[in-house]
Amino acid sequence: MKLLPHWVSRPALVALLAALVVGAVLPKVLGLSVYSQNQVTETFLFVAAALAWNWMGGYLGQVSFGHSAMFGLGGFISARLLLALHLPFWLAWIVGGLVAAAYALVWGHPTLRLRGPYFSIATIGVGEATRLVMTYWEDLTGGSSGLSLPITPGLKSELYWWALALMALVIAASYSLRKSTFGLGLLAIKSDVDAAADVGISPTLMQDIVLLLSGFTVGVCGAFYASYQNFIEPGDMFGFDRSISFVLMAVIGGVGTIIGPALGAVVFVMLRQYLIGSYPQLYLGIYGLLLIVVILFEPLGMMGLFFRIARRFGLMRPEVEATLEAKAAVGGGAADPGARQGGAP
Amino acid sequence: MTVILRAENLSKRFGGLKAVDAVELELNDGEILGVIGPNGAGKTTLFSMIAGSIPPTTGRVLLEGNVISGGSPRRAVRAGVVRTHQIVRPFQNLTVLENVMVGAIYGKARPLGARERALEVLDFCSLRDRAPQLPGGLTLAGRKRLELARALATEPRVLLLDEVIAGVNPAEALHMADLIRSVREKRGLSIILIEHVMPAVMRLSDRVIVLDAGKKIAEGKPQQVVKDSRVIAAYLGESASAAASAQPGPAGSPTPTSGAAPASLPTPPANPTPASIPKKGPGGHQ
Repeated sequence: MKLLPHWVSRPALVALLAALVVGAVLPKVLGLSVYSQNQVTETFLFVAAALAWNWMGGYLGQVSFGHSAMFGLGGFISARLLLALHLPFWLAWIVGGLVAAAYALVWGHPTLRLRGPYFSIATIGVGEATRLVMTYWEDLTGGSSGLSLPITPGLKSELYWWALALMALVIAASYSLRKSTFGLGLLAIKSDVDAAADVGISPTLMQDIVLLLSGFTVGVCGAFYASYQNFIEPGDMFGFDRSISFVLMAVIGGVGTIIGPALGAVVFVMLRQYLIGSYPQLYLGIYGLLLIVVILFEPLGMMGLFFRIARRFGLMRPEVEATLEAKAAVGGGAADPGARQGGAP
Repeated sequence: MTVILRAENLSKRFGGLKAVDAVELELNDGEILGVIGPNGAGKTTLFSMIAGSIPPTTGRVLLEGNVISGGSPRRAVRAGVVRTHQIVRPFQNLTVLENVMVGAIYGKARPLGARERALEVLDFCSLRDRAPQLPGGLTLAGRKRLELARALATEPRVLLLDEVIAGVNPAEALHMADLIRSVREKRGLSIILIEHVMPAVMRLSDRVIVLDAGKKIAEGKPQQVVKDSRVIAAYLGESASAAASAQPGPAGSPTPTSGAAPASLPTPPANPTPASIPKKGPGGHQ
């Protein structure tokens, strides 16, 4: 069978299709309440957003603290299009995503020449500047009073299927970006950008492409979120917590892996419901603490725990496990298990 | 013999420092050209300009008549000029095979058959059995061969080797020298070689150029160059050079300068550094 590129593994494909089928029949079989189904929809949405963030933060090693800019822009552009032109919502999402992608390229093309912490600091500036501009740009965002979107009956439950489809597409894209020959180039850039350039890679071009894709996807997620919430305001859409939430999802689950950010998003959405309900004042602080704990003790998050278990019980061949772990590592090469043991007190 | 690569009036200024000063260089097809000179002479800067990593302040580099300098390294690699690094820089997060595949895929933008081509190059560099490992598990000599393999996978015409022999043990140094020779014989590449291990330069190079303080001070057959008084001065200081030039007869090989004239040594390439380079510490990667 030569329908698929050689880097697509049959088991992975089967697993994705099986997950899709489960996701599709889940609400019917379990008879989920409207509330639970909405929770699952939101989870799907943030799985997609966390994976798109991970293309930058995990595959390229360029940790962005400014992805709320694209999330918010996608949301407000698509909301305005829905209100003014009554476009079908999927079309509004795509246009929102395209505008977000273009915006990402405008700030990203110059800043992506920076690497590591310098890039991260620049993205904080981009995110905050965007939030301020958007808060005062009332014609687009409605200012601090926000925007209300028309509610059509049944839309929320219909959005479940759209969220499932969006998530499936983004998982497939994550897999392609990670396993293809393009993905090999991204990993090379993460490891050593100059050495990568010396064998013919163009880091500028490849980083721009990834940011464009990531910005587009996060923009579509923001647009989806706007349709789903019926009401959006700039403080929430462009907020710094929004950016941090993408970082957290990926870090909790495991940056640089495919499954990690998806798991992280699930945990994050569930945890947030509980924390906001029980400790509304503390929940951001608890996230901060969680971030520190994960980075100190298990930099690869839940996937790191999984690798640890796999090593302990011999679930994978050691060299396979080591290779997977090396590819996920943030610095592009802290593959030495001793490095992490040494780091943990 | 046809000239494949030519550097014209190549200079690089870093602020007030002229790292490379109006260097002219010609590489013939199939030749191995040695570049020697004391530390800080501008050898690596010269390489960086030829490989496109840094733009020259003046001058240009031509590969078969086409300008390759002043753009990006990608331009040079696509044209057929690739470099290795003095301090090895493997992609630590990729296996040995994947490291070489990156070269095979991106060197000429040819993803098809990259795996097979990479395996062939690994075979050539005696790294085939290491293919599924991470480069962190290789010895320094192994990592230097990986650096060479990754460069070869881009299918270059001209290979720039920056100290691929220095720092490895004598047996590995001999192996590397053989490998470099077979790169020329079997793969038909032209090679420019920066090397501090003098016996290796003397044995491998068809021709040598000597840099000092950014300027080319001598050029010629290895045996002639090491007798040049300016070269001796550059390596050993003015007084040694005066002593050398005081020797009667043009062909006299003065004994005090034996440090600079080891071409006559019958031994394999000497090894100035300890044979066992300690493996990199935890998490250390350059």
